[in-house]
Amino acid sequence: MDPTQVGLAMIGAGIAIGVAGLGTGVAQGQVGAAAVGATAENPKMFGKGMIMMVLPETIVILGFVVAFLIMNA
Amino acid sequence: MLRPEEMTRAVVVGSIESLDVTIECLYELGVLHLIDFTEQDEEFKIGEPLPSASEASQKLLKLRAMIRALSIDSHKPAERMATSDIRRTLDQALVTLDLNTSKKAEAKQRIQSLIRDKESEIKALEPIAPFGIPVEDYEGYETIFSMVGICRADPEAALRARLPGAEVLRNPRKGDVAVAVFGMAADRPEATRILAEHGFQELKLPKAAGDPSAIISKNRADIAALEKDLVRIEGDLEAIRKKFADLIIASEEDLSIEVMKAETPLRIAATTNSFVMDGWLPTSKVDELQKSLNSLCCGLAFVETLPKEAGDEPPVLLRNPKPVKPFEFFIDLVSTPKYEEVDPTIVLFLTFPLFFGFMIGDLGFGLGLAALGAVMRLKLKGSPDLQKLGTIVLAGGIMASLFGLLVFAEAFGVPFHPPEAHPDEHSWESVADIPIHPVLDKMTDIKEMLALSLLAGWVHLTLGFVLGFVNQIHHNRKHAFAKVAWLLILLGLFIEIMYIAGSATWTSEFVNGTVLAWVPDAGTAVAGIQVSIPALAFILAGVVGLPLTEGAMALSEVVGLFTNLVSYTRLAALAVGKGAMALAFNTMLFPLIFESHNIGIAIVGVVALFVTQMFFVFFLGALSAGIQAIRLNYVEFFLKFFEGGGKEFSPLRYLRKHSVATK
Repeated sequence: MDPTQVGLAMIGAGIAIGVAGLGTGVAQGQVGAAAVGATAENPKMFGKGMIMMVLPETIVILGFVVAFLIMNA
Repeated sequence: MLRPEEMTRAVVVGSIESLDVTIECLYELGVLHLIDFTEQDEEFKIGEPLPSASEASQKLLKLRAMIRALSIDSHKPAERMATSDIRRTLDQALVTLDLNTSKKAEAKQRIQSLIRDKESEIKALEPIAPFGIPVEDYEGYETIFSMVGICRADPEAALRARLPGAEVLRNPRKGDVAVAVFGMAADRPEATRILAEHGFQELKLPKAAGDPSAIISKNRADIAALEKDLVRIEGDLEAIRKKFADLIIASEEDLSIEVMKAETPLRIAATTNSFVMDGWLPTSKVDELQKSLNSLCCGLAFVETLPKEAGDEPPVLLRNPKPVKPFEFFIDLVSTPKYEEVDPTIVLFLTFPLFFGFMIGDLGFGLGLAALGAVMRLKLKGSPDLQKLGTIVLAGGIMASLFGLLVFAEAFGVPFHPPEAHPDEHSWESVADIPIHPVLDKMTDIKEMLALSLLAGWVHLTLGFVLGFVNQIHHNRKHAFAKVAWLLILLGLFIEIMYIAGSATWTSEFVNGTVLAWVPDAGTAVAGIQVSIPALAFILAGVVGLPLTEGAMALSEVVGLFTNLVSYTRLAALAVGKGAMALAFNTMLFPLIFESHNIGIAIVGVVALFVTQMFFVFFLGALSAGIQAIRLNYVEFFLKFFEGGGKEFSPLRYLRKHSVATK
C-alpha cells in the first residue's frame, strides 16, 4: 500500500480512539462527580455508582474496535 | 454456594414470665431474625421493656457523657473485663466519677472558651496597637467617620490625594497593611470606595476600653494563668482516665447490650400473659433453638415453624465455603441478592483473581501484591472489610505471579529472556538462566491476547445468561426464554468473531477446532467483511426471539451485547499497557544504572527506577487492574442476571469486644 495511505489510515485510527476517549472522558467526568456525591451520602451506593460510572466506557471501546479494524484493514 | 442459607419462618411463643429468659437465650444463640411487630389490635400490643431497661439506660447515658467529657471514645482497654466485675464495681465508680469528672470537665470547657475569647481579642487588637489610640475612641462620633481594617495594598497615597482632610494611620505588616482612617462624615462613601479598591476588610473591634497594647499584655498574662489551671485540670482528668477508662468502656459495652436486650419487647407482640415473636431463622437451626428453649425456659416457651407464604421475603444469609467468603465483600458493595436469586460469590472467586492476574501478569509485582494482601489480612484485625480486601488482593497477587511465571515469563517488567526480535534487551539472563520461556509476549502477541480476552468474555457472559435463566425460570418464564435468545445472539457474535479471526491466532484456531467444531464452515462476504452463515442464523434466531419474550425494546440492546463482549478486550489492553509502561521505564533507566560507570548516576537511576516502578506500575497498575476486573463482573456479568435488593440477615445477637459474659 502507498505509504501516504497507510499514514492516513493510522491518523484515522488515532482520531477514532482519541475522540472516542474524549467523549468517554466528558461523560464519565459528570457521572463520576455525581457518583462520588452519592457515595459520600450513602456508602452503600458505591457499587451502583460504579456501574453508572463505567457505562460511558462503551464509547471508547467502540472507538478502539474501529481503530483496530482500520489498523488491520 | 450459589444459594443463600435456607430460612424458615418461625414464631417463638411463651408465657410472659419466661420473656427475659427467652430473650437471653435468643441473643446467646444469635439465630433469629426478628420481624418488628407493628399492627396492634385488641389482644396484641407492643411489649413493655423489661424492668431493667430504665435503670440501665440512665447509667448508660451517664457513661456516655463521661466518655465525651474524658474524650476516651477511641480508648481500647488492654484486657476484657468480666461482666460480674463490671456490675460489682460500676455503681461505686459512677458515684466517684459523678463527683469528680463532670465538674472538672465543665471547668475545662469554660477555661478553654475563655482562652479562645482572649486570643481572639488579641488577634483583633494587634494590628492597631501601634496607633496608640484607646479602643473606645474608634467609634461613637457624629460628624466624623472612622474605619479600621486590613488592606491588601497600601491605600495611603490614594487616600491622601483624594481626601486631603482625612487622618490616615497605617501599620505595614507581612503581606498586608492595617489602617485606621478618620475623616468628615460626608467623605465616607469616597473613603469606602478607595479602601475597597485596595482589598479592605473591616476589623471587628472588641468591646473593651483602654490602650490596645495594655489590653493585649493583660490578656496574655490571663491566658498564661488560665493555661496553668488547664494543665492542672487536665492532669486530674488524666488520673481519672488512667483509673477508670477501662471500666467505663467495658461497662458502656455491657450496658448497651443490657439495654438492647431489655428493649427487645418493644419489637414483639404481647398480651397480658403471653408473648409472640415472629421471625426467620436458618432451617438448620430450628432444632437447636427448640432444645435451648426447652432446657432454659422449662417448657414455658417454644418455637413453631410456619410454611412460607407467597410474598414472603426471607432475609438473606450468604453461605459460601471459607476461601470464597471474603469475596462476599464485592457483593455487599452492590446489594444483597434476593432470597430466590443466585448468589454469584463463587463466580467472583473464580474470575476476579483470574482477570486480575492476567492483567498484572508479572512474577515480581504479583509476589509483592500477595505479600501486601497477606499483611492486610494479618494486621488489620480491627476492620473486617479491609481484611477481606486483603484476602482478595492475596488471591489476585498469587494468580498474577502464576501468570508472570508460567505465561509471560517476566518479573518487575523485565523478561526472563530477551525477546527473539531484540536479543540485546535487558533480561534476567544476566542474573540467572531461568528455564521458562514465555508462552505469550506482551509486546508482540497482542492479537493472541485479544482473542483470549474475547474467549474469556464469551464464557463469562454465557454464564451470566445461564444464571439469569435460572433466576427467572420459576419467576417469569418469558423472561427466562429471553435469556436463551440472548445466549443465541451471543453465540452468533462469538462464532462470527472467531470466524473472522480464523487461524490468525492460536486461540481462535483452537476454539474453532474444538468448542465450535460443530459449526459448519460456511461463509460469504458482505461489504468486504467475511460473514459466517451459521453465526448469522444464530443472531437472527435470537433477534426474532427477543420481541416475543422481552419486548421489541430489547432489540436496541443487541449492539450493547456486542460492546459487552468487546469490553473484555480491556484484559489484553491493560496487560499490554502495563507491560509497555514497565518496559519504557526500564529502557530509560537501565542504561543509567549499568552503563553510566558512575556510582552517583547509577544510584539516582536505581532510586528513579524504584519510584516509577512502585508508583506507576505497582500501585496504579494494581488499582486499575482491580477496578477493571471488578467492573467486568459488575457491569458485563451482573447486569445479565443480578437484581439485588434482598434483606440482610441480622439476627438478635451482640458482640462483646471489651467484656466477657459471666453467669
